Amino acid sequence: MMAITFYASHFGPTSTFAHPAIQATTRPAPVANHPHPQTVHTYRTNKMSSTSPPPSTSSSSMPPPPPAPAQLTAKEVQAVMPSAVDAGRTITVGGITVTTRKLPILNAAEIEAMTEKLGIAPPEMIFGNNVVSIKGVAKADGAPGEKDKTWKIEFNALDALDLVDKTGSDMLKVAYSAAWQKQRENMHEGIKEVVKPFDWTYSTHYRGTVTENARFEPTQQQIPLDKLRRQDPILFFDDVMLYEDELADNGMSILSVKVRVMPARLLLLARFYMRLDDVVFRIRDTRVFVEFAEGLVLREYQEREDSYENVKKKLMPYREDVPAIMRDANQMVEFLPLQGTVVEKMVL
Amino acid sequence: MSDLDKAIEQLRQCRPIPELQVREICFKAREILIEEANVQIVDAPVTICGDIHGQFHDLMELFRVGGDCPDTNYLFMGDFVDRGFYSLESFLLLLCLKVRYPDRITLIRGNHESRQITTVYGFYDECIRKYGSANVWRYCCDVFDYLALGALVIGAGTSVQPTRSADGEDVETKVREAEDEVEIEVIGLGGVVTRQMLRREAGMINSTNLTPSALPHLSSSGPAGPLLTGIPGTGASGNSRGIATPNNAPANTGGAVLCVHGGLSPLIDSVDKIRLLDRKQEVPHDGAMCDLLWSDPEEIDGWGLSPRGAGFLFGSDIVKQFNHLNNLTLIARAHQLVMEGFKEMFDSSIVTVWSAPNYCYRCGNVAAILELGEDNSNAVLRSGGEEVLFNRENTRRLASTYMGGSMKRGGPGRRYRVFEAAAQDSRGMPSKKPMPYYFL
Repeated sequence: MMAITFYASHFGPTSTFAHPAIQATTRPAPVANHPHPQTVHTYRTNKMSSTSPPPSTSSSSMPPPPPAPAQLTAKEVQAVMPSAVDAGRTITVGGITVTTRKLPILNAAEIEAMTEKLGIAPPEMIFGNNVVSIKGVAKADGAPGEKDKTWKIEFNALDALDLVDKTGSDMLKVAYSAAWQKQRENMHEGIKEVVKPFDWTYSTHYRGTVTENARFEPTQQQIPLDKLRRQDPILFFDDVMLYEDELADNGMSILSVKVRVMPARLLLLARFYMRLDDVVFRIRDTRVFVEFAEGLVLREYQEREDSYENVKKKLMPYREDVPAIMRDANQMVEFLPLQGTVVEKMVL
Repeated sequence: MSDLDKAIEQLRQCRPIPELQVREICFKAREILIEEANVQIVDAPVTICGDIHGQFHDLMELFRVGGDCPDTNYLFMGDFVDRGFYSLESFLLLLCLKVRYPDRITLIRGNHESRQITTVYGFYDECIRKYGSANVWRYCCDVFDYLALGALVIGAGTSVQPTRSADGEDVETKVREAEDEVEIEVIGLGGVVTRQMLRREAGMINSTNLTPSALPHLSSSGPAGPLLTGIPGTGASGNSRGIATPNNAPANTGGAVLCVHGGLSPLIDSVDKIRLLDRKQEVPHDGAMCDLLWSDPEEIDGWGLSPRGAGFLFGSDIVKQFNHLNNLTLIARAHQLVMEGFKEMFDSSIVTVWSAPNYCYRCGNVAAILELGEDNSNAVLRSGGEEVLFNRENTRRLASTYMGGSMKRGGPGRRYRVFEAAAQDSRGMPSKKPMPYYFL
């Protein structure tokens, strides 16, 4: 039982994928709408399946042919295609539609495809089929030629990772790197090449993927925290993981998106949290706030960062709780100084 | 029933055992482990498992799928602890089994079996929570220092006995069995055979009057010459087949398989060099011992440095050369999450085995174990009856397994059993539906 209290803070209220029994609001979404449909066709199954034994082979001296890629049977397609519930959960309130979708991490073929697209290896736990989107319609104001405008802001792993530095120009190193390199120099002169340098902490300043008809402009307005602190009923809530990496056990890097929809407004928080042990802490938050009645859409982006040493000092009083706090971005946000805030307003 | 058997029973129910008993078991385990070599020799048949990471209920599922210990001979490639909820119960159960059946279970060290890593990734906190002090953690860490760094599986056959398919096409299957040997078989979810790779040369192997020179070259070590007696990787062995079989019958010998948690090291060019290490210490931050537990294979030529600033990556040529020099046909390693449970790389010269399904209770991946059959015997690892029973329980599940890359024949016959996470219930797992709260 004690496990619950401890891990609740580590894993948070995150979850895996949708479950039919608890997805009352689940409904199939048209697959074509999704920018990154599962690459189902890349699966290969051998013809020698349980239902069709291969033709028996004689002991000829012919070289064996390569395994033949076979067509998927209907049964197999069913097994690999996301079922209807995987299309996500969705809610429409005040003209705004929020959709979340949670699927398992990518398989080998999908990872290969993503690696090719990105040019870098994706994080170890890559939820490439997960998505959170907010969709709205701006009604035409009656002027001639005016049409309703449908806008969408979406959060997905591929676009977030596309903003990770792929050159390695600003690369962090693990804490014991210097010692490791020094020891190594004497022994392995020949091994000098760093394999595919890139920002392996997967730090991103992703603020969501926005449809072309919408743009965000700087504003003096602020997200009204007082309204959000009120305990209005939550009609819809989800917490969706986009990616996570353990930095080869040198810390953690995690990007997740939370959303809560109340009767009059909604708040989305896409939080990137990175801890590189004995080096640095980093949080990058993107908040999207929508006030339904006004059709107001605000987006706030914040960066927080501090050295491991500084944070460790601040956490001293928490003693044995420190490891748990360090795993929890939601607690760590209190200990990391704000480096900057940008608030923007959506203009159609 | 002995105290040890009682402890095993209690741990099987995921209930921790008293601190004093932990101390006693850790002490006994150390006495056994201290006698083991850095590279422990294990006879096939054996079932090789990857990371467990404290996912106790999934470890139970693994035993259901792979058979119980001691009925099945197990080899665990480390990372028993951290991240999951039940590192303590998982590790202690494996350790008790080690003490109870030392010859039927082999435990090698993963990078998480370290003081430094367990203080950061959960095992330390779990011990404090469950016992109120760090004593149990200390006992366990002392055991970690004695775990072997690797294992060498010898006497594995080149083929595995084909598993009867769930649909029971007995006649045709039997015909096939007689003519082909199955080199790779994948048993997907629910015990359904999802893939079989046949070794075409099988017919020749089965013929009675064959001579060694007529054998297909199953490994990179060249034609089967005179069979020397000795363990692969030592100077005493002249070929990949390891210890000569009675009558010098060379058929169905798959060569030796090196099992290690992470991978190779530029400081290690032979298995013998691993044997020379002083392993009884905390995992260091550098050097050969560190590399064996931390390095990863990568699609590169030669050796590379990880962009993280520490740690090595090694390419196909490194693996093939190492296997050739050491008369190995396969390296089995763990350490990296694989959605499909296992991943063969570099023309099947190395495989990653991952045994923690739905990793961290949220990844949705399947897990796998690797069964290596016995030399020259076509031994049935488990009875067909059990498999059928397993099928019936799981018919709703379907398997789809993707094997990356092209398969080049060679190496031991291997059967991958793929399995899913144990059903999550009210045992403190995070629920699939997150609890709403007023985040800002």
